[in-house]
Amino acid sequence: MSRPSTRSLSDRAFGVWGVLVLIFLFLPIAVVIASSFNVGRLLVSWDHFGFDSFLALFLKPAVRDAVLVSVWTGLIAALVATLLGALAGLAMARHPGRWQLWLLGLLLLVSVTPEIVDAVSLLPWMVTLGQDAGIAIFNDGIVRLVIGHSLFSVAVVAYLVRARLIGLDAKLEEASADLYATPVTTFRRVTLPLAMPAVLAGFLLSFTLSLDNTVIAAFVSVSGSTPWPVYVLSALRSGLRPEIAAVSTIMLVLTLAALALVGYVLKRAGDSAADIARTMSGG
Amino acid sequence: MRKHSGILLALPAWLWLVCFFVVPVAIVVVFSFGEKPDIFSTHSLEHLSFDRYAEVFTPAFFTTFLNTLWIGLAGTAICLVIGMPVAYWMAVKVRPERRGLLVALVMVPFWTNFLVRTIGWQILLAPEGWLSTLAQGIGLPAFEILNTRQAVLLGVVYNYLPLMILPLFVAFDRVSGPLREASADLGAPKWTTFFRITLPLAQPGIIAGVLLVYIPLMGDYITATVLGGAKGNMVGQLVAGQFQTALNWSLGSAMAVVLIGIILVSVAIGAGIVWLVTLPARSRNRLVLGPAQPAGARAVTAPAVVEGAGA
Repeated sequence: MSRPSTRSLSDRAFGVWGVLVLIFLFLPIAVVIASSFNVGRLLVSWDHFGFDSFLALFLKPAVRDAVLVSVWTGLIAALVATLLGALAGLAMARHPGRWQLWLLGLLLLVSVTPEIVDAVSLLPWMVTLGQDAGIAIFNDGIVRLVIGHSLFSVAVVAYLVRARLIGLDAKLEEASADLYATPVTTFRRVTLPLAMPAVLAGFLLSFTLSLDNTVIAAFVSVSGSTPWPVYVLSALRSGLRPEIAAVSTIMLVLTLAALALVGYVLKRAGDSAADIARTMSGG
Repeated sequence: MRKHSGILLALPAWLWLVCFFVVPVAIVVVFSFGEKPDIFSTHSLEHLSFDRYAEVFTPAFFTTFLNTLWIGLAGTAICLVIGMPVAYWMAVKVRPERRGLLVALVMVPFWTNFLVRTIGWQILLAPEGWLSTLAQGIGLPAFEILNTRQAVLLGVVYNYLPLMILPLFVAFDRVSGPLREASADLGAPKWTTFFRITLPLAQPGIIAGVLLVYIPLMGDYITATVLGGAKGNMVGQLVAGQFQTALNWSLGSAMAVVLIGIILVSVAIGAGIVWLVTLPARSRNRLVLGPAQPAGARAVTAPAVVEGAGA
């Protein structure tokens, strides 16, 4: 007869542990958000409450430029990654061949290589292409950032699109072909709408991945186009001011908006919580 | 044309990754055999040798590699211990309609800028910071954890915990409720059901979680920079320092190659250990169907049935 009470006791222990861990996960984020309302010289020591720190976004050109570089790079990198990754995912799902194993192997390699290795590899390569070989485009800050940020995202988008199309029946496309649709029409009217949730989710994930990228950005960025995380990293050495927290809070809201959109798109496409969790932890 | 359309569609991604991933990484591997000829140049490939690798294995640098390995192993283990009950709670205990919300709550920290959440810890742990003030308020001594190895360990556990919880949640979610109910109906206590049914079926997710945490953690460079102070506790900082400050690209490249080597070797050793440890469980759980060896099959499955009924 003691069974039900012990059962609910262990359930309660699980619940308490889960809530404690969630608090742990949100603790530093809450601290950063709270600090953004700090008006004072230093981020670490609380002075008094106010919204002054948020004004830095408008008053300090360096801060504003860094945010703009981040958003701009994020959009372009997401476009590049989505285009390349979606085509690769489509190819793997609908036209598999022996080459597919090589591509999957390469994508896996890209996604497991520590970022620091990508970063230190890209730096000499950009210098070689831009200065030694004289290809001026590789000296452009935005181009360098887009290349560095897109690598991992290409793999993510390719996985997403491949998984989505493999889960859907290829007979739809065959039926379209039987009804005399050209391959282009079939692609536009059948394949693309089917793959769209994955493509859109991939785009938004690539955007947030790029927005967050610190390590590769710190190595390949050139002065004049410093993205926001690199600005924060350099502020770390010279002393953190409350405006860092304020602008980070704004960036957090931007990231969360993108993520909420991803969740909405996937949910509308019929994914469960577990499917969404799988998608967002990188396949 | 139709036959090759797959290759053609994948070609842009293929070229992009070869050009900006394979080639630069290969160049770094080549650099690692070079040297730094004088203070003005970053590298030279005049005399190829293994000297940079010998340099990496000198105590001055190798201590950092051992330190990184320690943080990597300890951090991954702590993430697993903390994350497993949370994932199990989310997948099994919580009402299904709340799962989406909890997944979202775990994802928010995961997608918050890595550097910013680490700075959040720096603010919290600072000697005159919030936690320290709180501790002093209730009569405890002031915090002196910032810029130590413990702070880095706390930071990596925090930063990579969502990467452990999410795949574990997916894995536990896949182990269907009816299987666990069947086990309970057959009289198995909860722990037996967990170790004999849930855990073996969730194994791929556990492996995925461990790898998702361990591999990026070993290459981490931000956490140690923000929380570990100037002491340079992890290899990532060492590599970055060689490329950005010391301008010795050959030595930095050799360090990066050794880092990848250590990651691969330790994952292989870990896989071997897991294979050996689960060997008895696997042979015990194996169910041999068909008339091939009726006596042997009964001998293999019988203990499981007896144990399940007796427990």
